[in-house]
Amino acid sequence: MVALENVAIHTLNGVQYGFVLFLIASGLTIILGILDVLNLAHGELFALGAYVTSSLVGALVGAAFTPDSGLGFLLVVLAGSALAAAVLVPVGLFLEAVLLRPIYERDEVYQLVLTFALLLVIKDAIKYVWGPKPVRLEGVYSGINALATVSIAGRTFPTYKLLIIVVGAAVTVGLFYFFERTKTGRIVRATAIDREMATAIGVDVDRTFTLVFAMGAFFAGFAGAMALPPTQAHLEMGADPLVLSFVVIVIGGLGSLRGAFVGALLVGVLTRWATWLYPAMELAAPFAIMAVVLLVKPEGLFGSWGERA
Amino acid sequence: MSDDRRLPGVVDRDGERRVRVMAGLELSRGRAALALLGVALLFAVPDLTPLLPGVKLLVVHQGLLFGFAAVGLNLLLRHTRLVSFGHAAFFGAGAYATAVLATHYEVAGLFTLLATALVAAAVVATVVGYLSLRHTGLYFALLTLAFGQLLFAIAQGQQFLGGSDGLSVRPGPGRGGAPTILGQVFAPEVYELLVYYLTVVVVLVGLLVMYRLANSPIGNALDAIGQDRTRAQFIGIPTRRYVWAAFVISGVYGGIAGGLYGVAVKHVRPEATLHFLRSGEILFMAILGGFQTLLGPLIGGVVFFFLKIGGRNFTDYFDALTGVVLLLVVFGFPRGIVGSLGGDRSVRARAAAVRSDPTVVLEWAVAGVGRLGGALRTAARNVRSVFGGT
Amino acid sequence: MLVARNLRKSFGEVQATDDVTVAFGRDPGEMVFVVGPNGAGKTTLVNLLTGRLAPDAGQVLLVDDADVEWDALEGDGSDATRPWDAGAERDITDLTPERRVHAGVVRSFQVVKLFEEMTARENLRTAVLSERGLLSSATGLRDGYPEVEAAVEDLLERFRLGDRADDVAEELPHGDRKLLDVAMSFALDPEYLLLDEPTSGVSTGETELVIETIADVSREEGVTTITIEHDMDIVSGYADRVVALHQGRVHGRGPPEMLETDDELRRLLLGVET
Repeated sequence: MVALENVAIHTLNGVQYGFVLFLIASGLTIILGILDVLNLAHGELFALGAYVTSSLVGALVGAAFTPDSGLGFLLVVLAGSALAAAVLVPVGLFLEAVLLRPIYERDEVYQLVLTFALLLVIKDAIKYVWGPKPVRLEGVYSGINALATVSIAGRTFPTYKLLIIVVGAAVTVGLFYFFERTKTGRIVRATAIDREMATAIGVDVDRTFTLVFAMGAFFAGFAGAMALPPTQAHLEMGADPLVLSFVVIVIGGLGSLRGAFVGALLVGVLTRWATWLYPAMELAAPFAIMAVVLLVKPEGLFGSWGERA
Repeated sequence: MSDDRRLPGVVDRDGERRVRVMAGLELSRGRAALALLGVALLFAVPDLTPLLPGVKLLVVHQGLLFGFAAVGLNLLLRHTRLVSFGHAAFFGAGAYATAVLATHYEVAGLFTLLATALVAAAVVATVVGYLSLRHTGLYFALLTLAFGQLLFAIAQGQQFLGGSDGLSVRPGPGRGGAPTILGQVFAPEVYELLVYYLTVVVVLVGLLVMYRLANSPIGNALDAIGQDRTRAQFIGIPTRRYVWAAFVISGVYGGIAGGLYGVAVKHVRPEATLHFLRSGEILFMAILGGFQTLLGPLIGGVVFFFLKIGGRNFTDYFDALTGVVLLLVVFGFPRGIVGSLGGDRSVRARAAAVRSDPTVVLEWAVAGVGRLGGALRTAARNVRSVFGGT
Repeated sequence: MLVARNLRKSFGEVQATDDVTVAFGRDPGEMVFVVGPNGAGKTTLVNLLTGRLAPDAGQVLLVDDADVEWDALEGDGSDATRPWDAGAERDITDLTPERRVHAGVVRSFQVVKLFEEMTARENLRTAVLSERGLLSSATGLRDGYPEVEAAVEDLLERFRLGDRADDVAEELPHGDRKLLDVAMSFALDPEYLLLDEPTSGVSTGETELVIETIADVSREEGVTTITIEHDMDIVSGYADRVVALHQGRVHGRGPPEMLETDDELRRLLLGVET
């Protein structure tokens, strides 16, 4: 029986999942759209964000708050997540300025191999710092269970998931505002379209690229931080977000932020519905959507092609 | 034309004696000797491994198999300039085909298993190719990776495929726990040897076929497509169809390798055959060995597996080690092992310089350190410019 | 004839090609030049004719009929009728570029497109193999067809590339690159050859050589050339017919003398006030 309140709850779950996916995919798509770099290490930046958060929130909870102090706990998590993401910024700066920049002019296979190498190195760096065993977080995040749940359509819904939706929406609005309305955002987009022209009007392209990469790393880390509780942080956690971001990007259209947003919500909601109605489809659902989009509109929902390919 | 255009043997070309292997493939005597040595070495591996501590036949065997998949990947990489990041899908499809047949359908014949592996990979490549090949460049890499990971997810999720434990390739009882070869049951040591020799034969034939393909008109068309797809279209090449065909051939190489992996290792796991890290490794082998060469990917495969086994012995951080080697290749030896050794004029010139004056090595070392310093300074300047502006 | 019939193409707000009807190849081997100011829609027209772009509306036709009332077709272009036998018409609007090439419609690009890592000879060999339908062979050798090699040698000679035959394309001087580009197009045995500014970027000394070579070979082979050109001296010197475009529409068509007599056209092309 498909009851209305079930539809509402699963849709809300899907929206929450969709915002997590958008947080991950936005960083990847910004880097892809502007730098023309497919960052295979993006999933590991996500994992790094999660691990750093686990340590930061753990420290903050131990030092300042009891895990069951409701709203205060949420603030700690938010602060911890933002801090963790901020740690990713210098990492991003370093990767772009030192490693990626020398190979922009070369065959793209080198770029792919390079980011693949970074994936391997970052993964082992995490293993070195936090150990090979999963980091369990029930203790640190026990505050989550102490939070009151929200009642929606007669069903309860965890407050933390609601927080993710709110934060996700805020980030989305912020990103669109930045790229559509601010001067810096427009300059960044112009740089993506024509590097020479941007240089000619006095834009420091190198610096723009580095900052964009750092921005992408920030959002990867932030996504990892926010998506972390109440599960565990483990070494393999970077793979699925990476691949799902790919799926989101294919659905939305290459380098399109709007496409990534729509794609993420689509994948999020449809996956949760599939999990609910046909559990066997959970893994395959995002790929099924992707295959349909590729068949019907190969350029993606918001992609555009001027010429016949 | 005389008969020497058809038959293998020694021929005379402009006063130089060349060894003719087949039409279109003639080697200088030095190269021919080297090739003969290589083939002999491949066949001698089972006799050599007992002499080397810690080296198992299966390690070399797996290196050859993944390297063979990399030879297939290289058809796309070298000629059409497409970077596939999903070649584990075909390797895995081939490997799982043998496992499913052996476990669920009691098929024991080795050659039946291998034929099915080939077909399975071809089918997967046809479908994945159709969906991915509307795109090129990074988008293509992204799509192949995504589809590869889809297969991984399916294999992990389906009980029929054994979940994350995988399936074994040991058909029925009473067959020595391994497939039969031409209806015969063999003792495990003999079976291992026979499958290894079969791999060597398959690899050699596969290399010759690839050589011939690369030098055929189709190879020419693929080169054209890789260098300028629009121009290729406008000289009348149906680019998508050609690339699709190349993609399937490329996948079949992976499938044959996967099938042989299945019957050699006798157990197929999703992590070991389908995960996208395996795809990355296959690509790494091609780059490490030299993707502008025919033999590079194969040699890259063997070297990679030695690196893997050797690395495991002294570090828990094998992935990072691989990553660092990869970085070294990207920044220091972009032509790879074979690309740097053979045919590279600058390498030959350097070798000649060392012969005439060994102290030149010192000069190079100083220059190298200088370049490294320069690169570091540039990097530092890049980082500074981000914070302070230029 | 290669006929554009009521072709339309817009990019967003811009109507790049606005109901263009024009026929090329009234006489086999004629040299038609397409002129017009920047943004007139010249390259878009070539892209539509060769299949690089799909039109929003209209057709691209190959017509095999010698007795056509041209004025009925090209009158004002807007309500073009079909002054030819229905059976003589072949609609190629939906053909892919590669199928059009094999149907005899071949083009070059304003920015030369070559297989940059191949030598001049290999570039030409690729084109000749393609024209002869040999590229799909997996069993042959790419340099193993004596008749193909002979055709390549012939092209190298006619386009004066013999000395540079074994140079890699990206290392050739600009003039030779243009010639190689055109030579590849001729290798495809075209009936209609569309050339997008074949002299652009070529040094003044070499311009004459490039255009002269094109004219020679196309007259010998009876190939209709449709050339976009900005240099009015070249147009006056070589054109059998001129088609002038302005703002996506056909402004005028006729003999090259109209460049002298049509003041409006002179103003558009040269910025000369009358």
